[in-house]
Amino acid sequence: MNTPSKLQTDLQKNKTLFKKLLPAEDILTYDFQTADGVACTLVYADGIVNKELLAQLVAKPLSSLYLHEKAGGMYASNENPVKDAVAQTERFPELKVLEKPQDMLLEVLDGNTLLLVDGLSTGFVVGAKFLPVRAIMEPPTDVAVKGPREGFIEDIKVNMSLVRKRFKTPDLRFETVRVGRRSQTAVVVCWLDGTSKTELKDDVVQKLNALDLDIVPDSSYIATLLSPRKHSFFRAVGTTEKPDIFTAKIAEGRIGILVDGSPIALTLPYILTEDLQTSEDYFISPSMATVFRFMRFIALFIAIFLPAFYVSAQIFKMQLLPLGLMLTIASSVRELPLSPGLEMFVVLFLLETLKEASIRMPKYVGMSLSVVGALVLGETAVSAGFLSTPAIIIVALSGICLYVVPNFVETGSLLRWLYLLVAGSFGPFGIVLLTAFLLYYLLSADAFGAPYLAPFSPLLPHDLRDSLFKYGLEELSTRPRFLRSKNRTRLKKGKNND
Amino acid sequence: MTNRLDNPLQNSAVKSRQIAFFAAFVLPVYKLLETPSLLARFAKGDLLVPAFLHFVVQAALLSLLVYAASRSETSLFERLNARLGKWSALVYALLALYFLCIAVLPLLDLEKFVYAVFYDTSPTVFSFAAFFIFAAFACTKGLKTVGRSADLSLFLFLPAFLLLVAMSFPATKPDNLLPLFGESAKSTLDAFAYTTPHFADAVFLLPLIGNLRYQKGDGKKIVVGYGVGAAFVLVFLCVFFGLYSTIAPREHYAFSKIAQYFPVLSIVGRIDLIFVYMLCVVLFFYVAAPLQYTVYFGAKIAHTTRKTSISAIVCFGAFLFVLFCNKHYNAIYALFCETLFPVFLFLSIGLPVACMLFNHKENRNA
Repeated sequence: MNTPSKLQTDLQKNKTLFKKLLPAEDILTYDFQTADGVACTLVYADGIVNKELLAQLVAKPLSSLYLHEKAGGMYASNENPVKDAVAQTERFPELKVLEKPQDMLLEVLDGNTLLLVDGLSTGFVVGAKFLPVRAIMEPPTDVAVKGPREGFIEDIKVNMSLVRKRFKTPDLRFETVRVGRRSQTAVVVCWLDGTSKTELKDDVVQKLNALDLDIVPDSSYIATLLSPRKHSFFRAVGTTEKPDIFTAKIAEGRIGILVDGSPIALTLPYILTEDLQTSEDYFISPSMATVFRFMRFIALFIAIFLPAFYVSAQIFKMQLLPLGLMLTIASSVRELPLSPGLEMFVVLFLLETLKEASIRMPKYVGMSLSVVGALVLGETAVSAGFLSTPAIIIVALSGICLYVVPNFVETGSLLRWLYLLVAGSFGPFGIVLLTAFLLYYLLSADAFGAPYLAPFSPLLPHDLRDSLFKYGLEELSTRPRFLRSKNRTRLKKGKNND
Repeated sequence: MTNRLDNPLQNSAVKSRQIAFFAAFVLPVYKLLETPSLLARFAKGDLLVPAFLHFVVQAALLSLLVYAASRSETSLFERLNARLGKWSALVYALLALYFLCIAVLPLLDLEKFVYAVFYDTSPTVFSFAAFFIFAAFACTKGLKTVGRSADLSLFLFLPAFLLLVAMSFPATKPDNLLPLFGESAKSTLDAFAYTTPHFADAVFLLPLIGNLRYQKGDGKKIVVGYGVGAAFVLVFLCVFFGLYSTIAPREHYAFSKIAQYFPVLSIVGRIDLIFVYMLCVVLFFYVAAPLQYTVYFGAKIAHTTRKTSISAIVCFGAFLFVLFCNKHYNAIYALFCETLFPVFLFLSIGLPVACMLFNHKENRNA
């Protein structure tokens, strides 16, 4: 149905119009009258408005209002004094006067309440939204031993407030874009004026405005649609559930994106080394942080390459293994019915299946799953001679190491399969060649104006201070160069900081 | 005041730092493959002398190239286009052909190296075919990516090379190199002549320097980078001959095995192979580079930015060549190193010198 550009002054006709525009049964109306008999109607979505507030701060004051008298006797002749009279009577801090029915409709669907008054062709939107939200708690995907423990939740207003409370500056800007033809989801672009690149912000807003999709169930939809390479293994947008990380990235000059209904915030541009960083690195001594980052890098290396090297060593290049270990492995695999590649494939498949099942399985079945996974599948398969012990140890080690870098789990898991495939087909040559291929791909994979492998390629010596290495705060006094921030200084070396 | 990033005219596809890194960390890696045994075959203990002579000649040619690039705010290729117009396509065609030809030896060497180092078994001839998928992919990328690969090579080459040399040092006997200048001048000159295709470095950097919009200090960076790369090779040659001495001419692909005598390896296994594999990644970058240059010049001739089809043709052609000619490795090597070396010598000197034709100083305020 076409929405008219303006309401009529007849309340009944307006009510009929909204009933046609919003035929869903959860859209309710509440009729009442002012003290001098002027008819009023509240239009709202059931379940997401605070009815008590509406009754106390909207219906009750208007019911005792003599509108004709308050409007100076101009009720029938001029709308403006009547509008002013109603607005003054309402005690809501969030009160908007809207002219277009289309805008009113969106506000009602967003959880706000529309007040229509007989004789007025305008509507009042009362911000009495009351959405059930869960409490702010530590996100399960981003646990920190030291440092803040707050996490984003599904409500965008709460998330914005969590950001705002960390930036008491007018430079923090939010710009809301509605995305989703049917969901009209609020997507908020967040940046620090004078620090972030304005062109990047404009580019992001333009891309968000150009998105034409049905609904936005989660921020991952936005991340995927904004990515320049849709089918890449490597993500182009950073994600975090923690406001302290989100604000730190914005303070560096990045652009943040909050999506209503999602506790996962997006940051961009994103580079690969971000995955090796954790919030704790900034709360412990720089030397310890550097050690931990190298440890994560080595763990990631083991997670991706170890199964592949094990297979290629058995099939193509025994020299990769020391003699003692080679003899141990040889005795373990002597009577196996499967080839090394197939054996590793089966064990990896079991690991991935157990992982998927344990995520989705109800908690009370989890214990049984552990028993089945560890004892039945692991122990029994080895004693039955289907699998070898070294293969299970290697896959277990690889699985544990991958979770040292939680943001890289999906990509790392895919890469592990890929490396296993080339190791079984081409041996170490395949592994090295695939590495060269991936590096070459990543060298050219710029997203949102940032090189993916920065600061290693292109080499940015200054940015190496917060990559695999972690320097002290004093040495990180300027923002990362790859972001080309407008304001480079973040720590002034004055008398208080020396 | 505008900085380099703000001024699009000053933004080259490749930065001078990246060219310097290419010279320091990518160019040496091919010289660690077959060159040491070839030098040892002709010059024996004096293998450093012809290598050093090559580096001096190439450094001089490189300086000439850099000087030519420094004479204007526009790049060499922009000047070439401005001066020759549509005839510049002929120059690009010659360059494409040249780089296609100089890709032959590295490709054949790489194939032999892969079979020798990566496999205990006898792989099929198609195992090496996978390299051409990588090469074809690399060829679709621009020179900017070549520059970035040079940046990345710093982190691959430097630790791997230094660790391999450090691990091989305990078994090295430097006195094997003595007496210096113990071989005849003819042997040294033979070694110099026959390894010319391995040392045509200045012309290898031509596509990168040709696109450089020169800034003050760029020339110094590039020449110093080349000097560092030369030092790596000379150090490696010292270690190589110190280790193998009289059997050096038979020790092919030495960098993959010089560290194997390190005592700890018998306990922990061949961890030195990790560093060898890191060098191999750089080696793949190196071997793909002439094919990339061929595709780059091919695209320039065809006036297109879409390089996929040119890349597919060039890499498939190279694959067929390797597939059918790998059995004639020795004959091809003899052809390139013994028969055609004057041609290579002429081209590797002539091309940089020809660039001086475009070294007219422009009015920088124009």
